[in-house]
Order: sequence, then C-alpha cells, then structure tokens
Amino acid sequence: MRNLLKECLAEESGFVELRYHHKESRSFHAERGRVESTALRKRTGIGVRVLEAGTWGFASTSEISKSSIQNAIQVAKKAARLSSALRKDKIPNLPKANFAIGDFIGKGIEDFRTRTVEEKLKLVLDIQNAAAKQSTKLQSVGCGYSEIYEEKAIVTTDGADSFFTMVRPEFRVSAVAKEDGKMESGSHSIGVTGGWDCLFRSQSATEISEEACKTAVDLLSSVLPDGGLSTVILSPSIVGLLVHEAIGHTVEADFVLSGSVAQGKIGQRVGSELVTLCDSGFSEYYEGAGGSIPVDDEGLLPTNTVIIKNGILTSYLHNRETAERFGVAPTGSARAWEYGDVPLIRMRNTFLVPGDSSLEEMIANTKDGYYLDGAKNGQADATGEFMFAVQKAYRIQNGKITDLLKGVTVSGLAFDVLQNVDMVSKEFKWDLGSGHCGKGQPAKVDAGGPYVRTKVLLGGK
Amino acid sequence: MDRLSIEKRLDGQKELLSGLVKKAKTNGIDQVEIYSSYGYSEDVSLEKNDLNNCTATEENMFGIRVIAEGNQGFIISNHIPSLYESIEEAYSLAKSQSTPDFDLGLPEPETISNHFNQYDDSLDLMGIEDLVATAKEALGWRNDLYSKVNIDSGDFSLSKGYKLIVSSKGVMAHELGAELSASVMGMGVDGDLVGSFDYDSASGFNKEQFQNLWKKAFTNFGDKCMGALYAKPSSGFQGKVLLPPEAVYSFFLGLFIGSLNGTSLRKGKSKMAGKLEEKIASSLLSIWDDPTNDRFMGSTGFDREGLPTSKKPILTDGVLHTYFYNTYEAKKAGLTKSNGCATGGAQSLPGCGPKQLQIAPGSSSKDEFFKLPGKTLFVNRISGTKDGASGDFSGVIKGGYVLENGEKIPVREVQVVGNAFDALNQIEAISKEGELLGESSFVPYMLLDGFTITGVTEN
Repeated sequence: MRNLLKECLAEESGFVELRYHHKESRSFHAERGRVESTALRKRTGIGVRVLEAGTWGFASTSEISKSSIQNAIQVAKKAARLSSALRKDKIPNLPKANFAIGDFIGKGIEDFRTRTVEEKLKLVLDIQNAAAKQSTKLQSVGCGYSEIYEEKAIVTTDGADSFFTMVRPEFRVSAVAKEDGKMESGSHSIGVTGGWDCLFRSQSATEISEEACKTAVDLLSSVLPDGGLSTVILSPSIVGLLVHEAIGHTVEADFVLSGSVAQGKIGQRVGSELVTLCDSGFSEYYEGAGGSIPVDDEGLLPTNTVIIKNGILTSYLHNRETAERFGVAPTGSARAWEYGDVPLIRMRNTFLVPGDSSLEEMIANTKDGYYLDGAKNGQADATGEFMFAVQKAYRIQNGKITDLLKGVTVSGLAFDVLQNVDMVSKEFKWDLGSGHCGKGQPAKVDAGGPYVRTKVLLGGK
Repeated sequence: MDRLSIEKRLDGQKELLSGLVKKAKTNGIDQVEIYSSYGYSEDVSLEKNDLNNCTATEENMFGIRVIAEGNQGFIISNHIPSLYESIEEAYSLAKSQSTPDFDLGLPEPETISNHFNQYDDSLDLMGIEDLVATAKEALGWRNDLYSKVNIDSGDFSLSKGYKLIVSSKGVMAHELGAELSASVMGMGVDGDLVGSFDYDSASGFNKEQFQNLWKKAFTNFGDKCMGALYAKPSSGFQGKVLLPPEAVYSFFLGLFIGSLNGTSLRKGKSKMAGKLEEKIASSLLSIWDDPTNDRFMGSTGFDREGLPTSKKPILTDGVLHTYFYNTYEAKKAGLTKSNGCATGGAQSLPGCGPKQLQIAPGSSSKDEFFKLPGKTLFVNRISGTKDGASGDFSGVIKGGYVLENGEKIPVREVQVVGNAFDALNQIEAISKEGELLGESSFVPYMLLDGFTITGVTEN
C-alpha cells in the first residue's frame, strides 16, 4: 500500500498527505439467554489532504486505485484554491517532524486473527447466562464483546512513509435490577490496545460481570447524596474522566487558539504541586492502554507530552499546524476516526502521575466526604467548567466508608479542582479504555491514574 | 453530482442489489435485506474565526442483513465489488450461532403511499463556491454583530444522495434527498473572561429557505454565547425550571421516548411497560409522531425495514397510546406487524423509535414565563447524564439564567437533578409558541416545578 501511495505522489509538488485506512469492527452481544446481535463492519478508503495557497483541502475515495486517488488529489486541490481567498490567516509551512518510517505491527493482531467467531460468541453467551442467575432482582443483563482492527498507511510529500496496524478489543456488561417498581442499572467495561490476554489481564470476564450486576442490585437501596461542594476521593476511572474532560480538552491547541481557559497560561501554576499530568501515545506503567497509537494520523511518531509538571502548565497538545503557530514541536496528537475524516487534535492516553499516599491512608484521613467510583460520561467547556457522571458515591465519615449513594453528576472548574488536590495515591490504573471521546468525530482514548483527593461540586438532593 | 447522475446511479444499484438478492436465494440464502445509503457532499469548515478546510466526500454504505434458521448476521461494507461475498459472510455469521429465535424474519412488503420529493433541483446549480460565500457571510456577521464571540468551529454543507432498500421478500423502496445545512459552535470571550460554549444549526431544502433559517440560527447562537459570557455562580434553591424548545427533549423528554422502545420493553428495562392507555403524564402534554408531512425535513415514506410510515398519537392529554416497534419486536409483543417505527440506516440493524415528534402547543404565553414571581431557572442546555432504566438525570446547566423579579441573571456552576418519569407530571405550563427543531419537530416552551437546583455559593 505504501508503494501505491508513493506512486500517486511521485509527480506532486506542494504538500499532499495520503492516508489509507482499512477498518474492521466486530461486535457480539448476548442478552436474555441468546445472542441478540452479531455485526461486522468493514470500511476502506483513502483520505487526501493538501495544503495549497495557504489553505487545507480534503477529499476522500473508497476506490483504491491510482486513478481514483489522483482524482481525489485534484478535487482536494481545487477545494483549497477556491477557499484560499477567504482564509485570513494563511498556513505558511508545516514544521519539520519526527516522521514514522517503516512498518509498525501492533500487539495482539495474531490473537485477533486466530480466535474464532464461535469462541467470541461463547464468551458473551456464557457470561450472560451465568450473570443472569446472580440475583432474582436482575431484570436484564447484557454482555458484549467488540473489537476494532485497523490498518493504516500514511505517506506525505515531505517525508512520512509508514504502515501500521492495531487491534482494540472491548468487553462490557450492563445490568438492570428492579424491586418494588424501582429500577437501577449498573455497568462495567474494559478496553485495551492489544490481544485477548491483555484485555482480561487485570480482571476476568466473570469479575467484570459480577461487578456490573452487584452495582445494579446495590443501587436499589441507595439514595441521592446531599448536593454541594464536597471533599471527594476519586477512583482511577474517575481521575481519568477528570483529567480528560477537565484539563485535556482545554489544552488541545485548536481549542486554545479559540480562546479556551488554558490560553496564555503556559508557565503558570494551574494545580497543586502534587499534580503532574501527561498525555501519551504510549502506555506508561502497564501495557495495553486503549488510546495507544504507533503513529499519528499526520504520520508522526507520538510523544509522551507533559502537560502539567508539579502544578505548572508546560505544554498544549499539537498537530503540525498548531505546532508551527506556537513555535514548538508537534506532539503527535493528530487523529482521524475514518478515512473520510480530517485529522483533528485529540488526546491519546491521559494520566496523572502517581504520588506517595496509599488509598487506605487517604480514606483514613478524610473526616467528611465521598469516595466516587465508576465512570459514566463527561464533557468539558471552554470556561474550564466540566461535568462527569459517576455510578456510585460512597459516604466517608470519620475516616471510614459508610453508605452507598447514587452516583450523580460532579462538576467544577478544571484548574480549581487541580489546585485543591491534596493527596495522590501510589496505586495506578488505566481505566477508561472502553470509552470513546467525541469532538466532531469519535476517538479511542484511555485515561487513568492514581486515587486523588480534591473538592468538587456534587449534584444531589 | 446532480440529480440525473444520482438517479442513474440509483437505477443501476436497484438492478445490482436485486441481482445479488436473487443470486443469494438461488444459493440457498432465503432471507437477505440490503439497505444502501449513498451520499455526496461538499463542505466548508470554520475554525478560530477563519475558514479552515474545504472538503468533498462521496460514499456508499451497505447494511446487509441475513436471517438463517432463526439467527441473524449483519455486515456493513462500503466495497461494492465484494457485496456478494459480504452476503455470504453475513450468512456464515448467522449460521455460527446456536441460539435461534424463529420470531426473527424479514417483513413482507407493504404498499407505501407517501412518496416524498425532497430533492430541489435548484441545489444542482450550487457548489463549493456558494458554500465559501455563505461562510464568508457568517464570518462577516460575527465581525459586525458579535465581535466578542469566538467561532471555535463551523460547518457548511451541501449534501445529496439516496437511500434504497431491497429484500428477498420483495421489499423495494427508495428516496432521494438533498439539503443545505450549516452549524456553528463557539463561545464569548472578553479578555480573561470565557463563557460556556454554545451552538446552533439550520438546514433547508433550497437556498432561500436555508438562508432565512441560517441567519436566525446564527443570531440565536450569538445571543446565547453573549448571554453566557458574564455568568456568575449562583446559590441553590428548590423551584421551577423553564425549558426553551431545544432543552425540552434533552432535559427529560428523550428519556421518556426511549422508554417506549419495543426492545427496552421486552427486556424489562422500561418503566413504561404495561402502561398503554394509562395516564402517565400531565394532562397538558400531547405528543404525536408525524413523518408524513412533506414540509418537514425528516419526512419519509418508509422506515428502516422498507415499511410504510404513518402519523400516530403517542400521548393525548397525558394518556399513553403507543410503543415503537420494528418487525421483530412487534412479533415478540404478539402483534401481527410493526407500526413502521424501525429506525436506523445502513450502518445499524433496525432499531425502534419515532421519526418526527410533534408536541402540542399549550395555552400560555412564553413571555409570561419570564415574569414569574420567585426564582425560576432557565435551562438553555444541560450537560449531564441520564439513566434509561431509572429515568434519573443530572447535569450542569449551560448558558442558563436565574429569572428573578423580571431580571435575567446569567449563572454558571449550577446543577439540576431529577427523574424523567416524575418530570412528566411536573409540567406546570406549556407555551403557545414553539420552534420547529431541525426543521422537523415542533416543540414549545415548558415550565416545570419541584426541582432541586444545586449551586456553589451559600444560600
């Protein structure tokens, strides 16, 4: 594929980027004692991006042939030229970059290829059947396995030349419990970049299922917490949501240029000294983080970008264009979901660096607060105001965990929350690998970190 | 790409898909359905108050469903030369399963009486140059009227295409469509002050309709961003919330509509199970589904399974009349056929849901809602979470106001917690005035009472 793409670029002058993308997504779902759905999605094509007359032009084609690709290049060039007169702030050049050259074959590909459809169907069916027997209060238990296999080749006229593959499996269980007309749901999911063994390394499918079912049943007897500003200990999944939503989005350089709250704050204190925050294309501390990428969608090798070091804002996340504007090196953060999508600045694996405390010490040191666990969803705003939703909130009173309460929405101002971090645990976990981040287009990301104590606004009664 | 070339492509594809289905039947694959979705679009995007990118994309996706011996396999592909291999692959996926349900089956064809022509030929005279001009005009509005509003992103699109469904049972239906659309997202920025982001969008069948709606949408966007710019934290209180049309669905109605889905009902996940013909909401609330009105953008003559759509009441004066079914769920519910409520497209299996909700206007004047005594929270939009089973929702209010003694005080860091099913009975008033959201669903303003509003400052 690299050769075909290079052939298409042979006579091109100016900047042209060709991105071949083949994606296969398989999903299997069992519920109420049977396989409810099986699906295979295959999508292949080439995205063509050009920089002409200081403006981007983009076109795509699903036909993998030299003539079709060359036609798409011409369409993209025409589009760029048409819009050049309107664009005020022309893009002069793209900076030199640490291009990926060669083949990069991801881990777990062989595993993905050799495991049969029957094996995956049996997994979801067996787990679902066993889970439904856990409690008579369970109305419904759904169990799903899915995987995304991707092949990409990226070639540009200024030096990128790579082919890479990766596979990302996910496993999820969702349960609904009912009692006296009240209904509650619980869910638990995991996702990694790698094979089946990597997926179930820290927790078996049965354990995941038991956790989801227990949450649904336990929540039947829970009530809402008191609303208001509260001291909270956040589990790694919630820390992941916090750093992704509250900080990560505000430091994406395109958002910074639009006026996000992080604009002009490089070198300033934005968090307590205990806070060191990174976004990485790799998988620090242990392998398999769900947002790992061998190459970004501009053909660059990704970096581990230190966004905040001991509380001081040190870097934004960049693509080539914004790196040029800020006069820094690109961070390898450009990502596209499908071949027909233009690469955007996106997070990869976002994490807080672990500290020195233990979770036990943190709970014991909390007189009045909540322990929040089970990430649901979240969003951030230009203001730095974020919200994330949690499944469960446990009351902490006098250093001990007491009642289980319904998880609700938690919100705050990003940098205030980081300033209030006063304890960080030494335990670390990636725990958002089954999630997708939305920003016009989806992206597989992961996030996590240690347990963290801070203050947030808790919605409640 | 113009109407003639799209029609030519459609004709060729009808023949191709019919041939593939016939070939599959000859080879012993009896139940095959192919849903084809073709789209050509030209787009101009904005970023950071400037033009960002011009794109041209074209894609044909196929959703292939095969049912064999009570099991179902589904393949999605954009590769036309290998479509027959995809049918075989879907068949193999169905055959690999061991939990048959013989209620699974493709529907028999039914006569489609509503035929829509939502392709206005005038759009064939437009191209990317017109989109660039429209983008330039919007940037001008921003500079002239809303210099403190930063456009983070925007998109102008001219799209054309068709949907086509062919099945081995004899279902064959298609519709052409073309539209102009635009959206914008951004926030107010004044020195170090940054407001919460907002967005708006518009779409139209032709240039004139689109331009009128787009100017209104852009003005609405600018006003919302400016309104949120000087927001301050507020204290919490117990009281009323006022929902403008856009917030009604996201705040609580979406959860309720989701609970009427045939799949949720069958799986015991819906609190609305067994409630047909019962009063489950305020008498003020009447809702119906109407995909048959050709003035609406989303109107369609057939559903995801190629069956005819129809106008149907959902709630009348708070009494529930219907659930939403595709063919499988209808059969599981003991009905003879679906009610034309299969949802989705080429990239998904048929789901269950409405096509085009309409909410009956009330008798109140919306202006009166802004002059109520005491405190009322105006919810511009909610950024939060919701749980389909319990109906619980909670979230942060964005671009909201506290309305107090005739004053509109912009607030931030305010949360609301509630339950969608309870909220149906918390409706205190519905306005006469409303908006056609997405140029398809009429939604009025609603005033609800009895909410806990959490703020960061002390009472």
